[in-house]
Amino acid sequence: MTVPPLAGQRSPARQGARASRPPLPVGWWLLLAAVAVAVLSPLLLLLWQSFLSNPFFAPVKQVGVSAYSQVLTDPAFWRAFGNSAVLAAAMIFIAVPLGSVLAFLVTKTDLPFAKVFEVLLLTPIFVSPIVLGVGFIVSLGPSGFVSGLFTSLFHLTSTPWSVYTLPAIALIAGLTHVPYVFLYVSTTMKNLDASLEEAARLSGAGVWKVMTSVTLPLVRPALVYSAMLMLLLGFEIFGLPLVLGDSRGVDVITTYLYRLTAVTGVPAYGPMAVVAMILILLALLIVFMQRALTRQRGSYASLGAKGYRAQRLKLGAWKWPLAALTILYLLYAVVTPMAGVLLRSLVRSWGPGVNLLDALTGANYAAIFSTPDLSRSVVNTLIVALVGGGVAVAVYLLVALGIQRAPRGVSRTLDYLAGLPRAVPGLIMGLALFWLFIFVPVLKPVRPTLISIALAYMVVWLPYGVRLITAALGQVSRDLEEAARIGGATATGAFLKATLPVLKPGLIAAWLLIFMQFVREYSSAVYLLSPGTEVLGAQIVQLWGTGAVDSIAALSSLQIVIIVGVYSLATRFGVRPE
Amino acid sequence: MLKNARHALSLLTVSLLAAPAVQAQAVPNGYPASYASVIDGAKKEGKLIIYSSTDQASAQPLIDDFRKAYPFANIEYNDIGTSQLYSRFLAEAAAGTPTADVLWSSAMDLQVKLAADGYALSYASPESKNFAAENSYQNMAFGTTLEPAALIYNKRLVKPGDLPATHAAFAALLSGGKLTGKIATWDPEKSGVGFTLTEYDNQTNRDFGAVSLGLGKAQAGLYSSTGAMLEKVTSGEALYGYNIIGSYALLRQKTVPDLGMKFWKDGTIAFQRVAVINKASKAPNTAKLFLDYLLSRRGQLVMANQSLIYSLRGDVAGKATRATLTQAVGGAGNLKVIAVDKRLLDNLVPANRNTFLNLWRKNVKGQ
Repeated sequence: MTVPPLAGQRSPARQGARASRPPLPVGWWLLLAAVAVAVLSPLLLLLWQSFLSNPFFAPVKQVGVSAYSQVLTDPAFWRAFGNSAVLAAAMIFIAVPLGSVLAFLVTKTDLPFAKVFEVLLLTPIFVSPIVLGVGFIVSLGPSGFVSGLFTSLFHLTSTPWSVYTLPAIALIAGLTHVPYVFLYVSTTMKNLDASLEEAARLSGAGVWKVMTSVTLPLVRPALVYSAMLMLLLGFEIFGLPLVLGDSRGVDVITTYLYRLTAVTGVPAYGPMAVVAMILILLALLIVFMQRALTRQRGSYASLGAKGYRAQRLKLGAWKWPLAALTILYLLYAVVTPMAGVLLRSLVRSWGPGVNLLDALTGANYAAIFSTPDLSRSVVNTLIVALVGGGVAVAVYLLVALGIQRAPRGVSRTLDYLAGLPRAVPGLIMGLALFWLFIFVPVLKPVRPTLISIALAYMVVWLPYGVRLITAALGQVSRDLEEAARIGGATATGAFLKATLPVLKPGLIAAWLLIFMQFVREYSSAVYLLSPGTEVLGAQIVQLWGTGAVDSIAALSSLQIVIIVGVYSLATRFGVRPE
Repeated sequence: MLKNARHALSLLTVSLLAAPAVQAQAVPNGYPASYASVIDGAKKEGKLIIYSSTDQASAQPLIDDFRKAYPFANIEYNDIGTSQLYSRFLAEAAAGTPTADVLWSSAMDLQVKLAADGYALSYASPESKNFAAENSYQNMAFGTTLEPAALIYNKRLVKPGDLPATHAAFAALLSGGKLTGKIATWDPEKSGVGFTLTEYDNQTNRDFGAVSLGLGKAQAGLYSSTGAMLEKVTSGEALYGYNIIGSYALLRQKTVPDLGMKFWKDGTIAFQRVAVINKASKAPNTAKLFLDYLLSRRGQLVMANQSLIYSLRGDVAGKATRATLTQAVGGAGNLKVIAVDKRLLDNLVPANRNTFLNLWRKNVKGQ
C-alpha cells in the first residue's frame, strides 16, 4: 500500500491558516500503529495457523492448504454457512426495520410509556445470548411455563411451535437484536436537529411522512451501520444457536467449530483458523459495502450551536395500538426469556408436574456466594466493565477521531482495521489473544491479571465502540471547534474546549453501553480465565460445558440485576443524554 | 548463668527435636519410609497448579481434605473443559509459561496422548498396588474414578414399569413410537467424552446397533454436555437420557429428587477420570502427594461420600463406590470399564473416528 504524502492532504484554501489541520500527523501514525498491532497480531497469527498442519507452536508442522480443503469440502461447513446466512438475513430484515421504527416512536412521537419502553427495549442487550436461550427454553420450550399455560388453556397435548428449529432461532435472533438497532438509531435521532421535522410537520406532513421522508433519511448512516452490524453479528452469533440449535443439529459457523475438533479428537486449530479467515474476508466485504453506502461522511451533521427541539409528533388514533404492539414485542422478546431465567434461578426443578412453589429455593444463589470462583466472578466483572470500559471509551474515541480527521490513508486504514475484530468469533479471537499473551514476552506477566481480559474485550468490541462514538461525533458540527481555532486555540485545545463538552453525553452513553457489553461478554474470555480472574460471561460458558444450569441461571440473573441496577442509577443521576 | 544457658540449650534441643515431630506429616500407612523425602520436598515447593475438568464444587471437599493431610500445600485449582484443558496445557508448555502440575481430566484419550507424547512424569505411586493394570498407563496416566454411563429418567413422567433393564428392551421401547423427541443422548460428533463413551458402547454392546437405530427412530436430541441432558430430563422435555455420566446424575439427585438413574443389567460401561503429572512440573513432590491422595483410600472415601464421584478402589465403603455400582449393575462381570491404555490412542486417528461416526450418522441421523 502506498501512503499519500501528508502535506498533500491539505486543501489549498486551508493551507494559509495557521496550524490548519488538527493534531500532529505523528500522533495519527502512532495511533494507527497501536490499533494495527492490537487488531492484526491475533489475525495474522490465525492466518499463519490456517496454513499449518499442526498447532503453530508444535515442533513438527507442515505448511499447506490442507485445512482449507478440509473445511471447504465439508458439507457440514456449507450447511452451517447457509444457516448463518439465514440468521444474518433474519437479523437484518427483522431488527433493522423494527428497531428503527421503535426508535422513531420512542424518541420522536407521543407514544404512551415512551420512557418505560426505552428502558425495557434495552434490556436484551444486557443479557448474554446463552442466557436468553436458556430463558426461551424455560418459558417457551416444550416443558416451558408459557407453553404449559398455553397447552392447558387450549387443551393441546403439545405446543404448536418449537424453539429448536432454524426458523425459530432466526426469529429469536432477529427479535433479540432489535435493541442494538434501537439504541444506535435512537441515539442518533435524539441528536438530530429537529427543525427539519418541525418544518415538515408544520407544512402538514403526517407522522409517517415525517418518519419516512425526513427522519429516516437523516439517520441513513446509522441505519446502514446497524444493518452491517447485524450482518456481522449474524455470522458471529454463537450463544443462541449453541443453546437452541445444539440438540437438533442446527449448526452455524461458530458452533460448527465444535464438530471440527470432534472429528480428529484433538483441537483442530488449522480448520478453526480457516473458519476465522473466511469470516474475516466476509467482514472486509461488509466494511467495504458499508463505506460505499455511507460515502458522504459528515454531510448529515446537524447538531451544533443551533440545537433546536421540536414538539413530539402526535400519533393520534394510532397511539394506543402502537403502544400495544410495542408491549407485545417486549413481552415476547424481553419479558418472557428474562422471566424464564429468573424463574429458573429460583427453583430446583421445573416442567410439567412440578409445583413451582414447592421447588422454590434460594440455594442457587447461596451456592454462588459460597463458591469462591463464582462470587469472585461478580466482583471481577464489575471491575473490568467499569475501569476497562472507561479506558475503552477513551481508546475508541481516539480511533473514531482518527477515522474522522486523520489524513485519508490513515483514516481509511483505521476504519478497516476497526471493523475487523467483530468478524472473528469471540471464542477464536480469545484463543488467538491467549496465544499472544503466553508467547509474547512483554505480555506474559499480564495474562494472569484482569488486564488481559479487559484488553481482550477492548479488541473484540472495538468495532461496536468505534461505531457508537463515530455516530455521536458525526452529529457534532465542527463549527464550534473551527470558531475556537479561529479564536486562537490549538487543535487539541479546541477539541477539548469546544467539541468534547458537546460530545460528553454521547461518550457517557457509549460508556454505559460498553459497560453493559463488557458485563455480558462471554466467549472471548473463556481461554483467559485463571483463578482470580474469573468473569461472569466466561464462567457461564464454562458452566454450560458441565451443565450446571442452576448456577448459570443464578449468575445470569445477577448479571441482569447488576446492569439494570447500574443503568437505572445512571439515569437517576441524569447521565442519560436527553 | 550456666543453669540458664543449659536451660536454654535444653529448650533448643527440645524444640529442635519437637519441631519436626509437630510439623512433619507422617508417612501414610503402607508407604515406604523413603516417602518422607517426597513430603519434605513438597514443603519446599510453591503452589501446586491443577487443571481439571471436575467441577470446583465437587473437587472442593477433596482439596480441603488434602490440605488437612498436608497443611503446607498451596493449591490453585482451575476448573476447565476437557478439550480446552488439553490445548491450554500444550500451548503453555510450548511457551514455557507457568502451567499445570497436575492434569485431571475425563478425556481419557487425550490424557493418554499426553503421556505417550512425553509430557507426563513417570511415577511409581505407592498406591499402584491397590489398582488393577487397566487403571494406569506406564506409570504416567492414572485412572482415579469410575464413571458409569447410566440411563436417567424423569420419575414424574416415567412409570417404574416402563424402565428397561437391558439394551434390547430399551431398543424395543425406542422403536415403539411413543418416545419421539423424548430422548436425550450424546452427540459424538461434538463431544470428545461423548465420542469415547458411545464408541466404547458400540465395541462392547452387541445391541448397540438396535439402540442406535432406535435413537434415530425416536429422533433423539443430541447434546454436547451432560448438564444440558440432565436439564432436559429434569424438566420433562426428555423422558430418558442415555449414557449419562452417573456421578453427575448422582450429584443432581441431591437437589432434584425426581431424577431417576438406572444401570444396565446386560453390561454397563464406565470410563475413568485420568490424572497425569506434568513432567516439567515445578512442584513435582506436591503433585505426587496429590496424585497419591486421589488414589488413596482416604481420598477415594471423600469422592464416594462427599464429592459423589464413584470411587475406583474396591476397598471403599459409602454411597458412590465400586461396590454399590457392582451391585446396581448385577455383578462385576456387568461392569465394563474402559482401560487406561494405548488403545485409546486409536480413537484419535481420524480414519478410525470416521468409521464409527459414519455408522452413527447412518443409524441415528439417517445420513
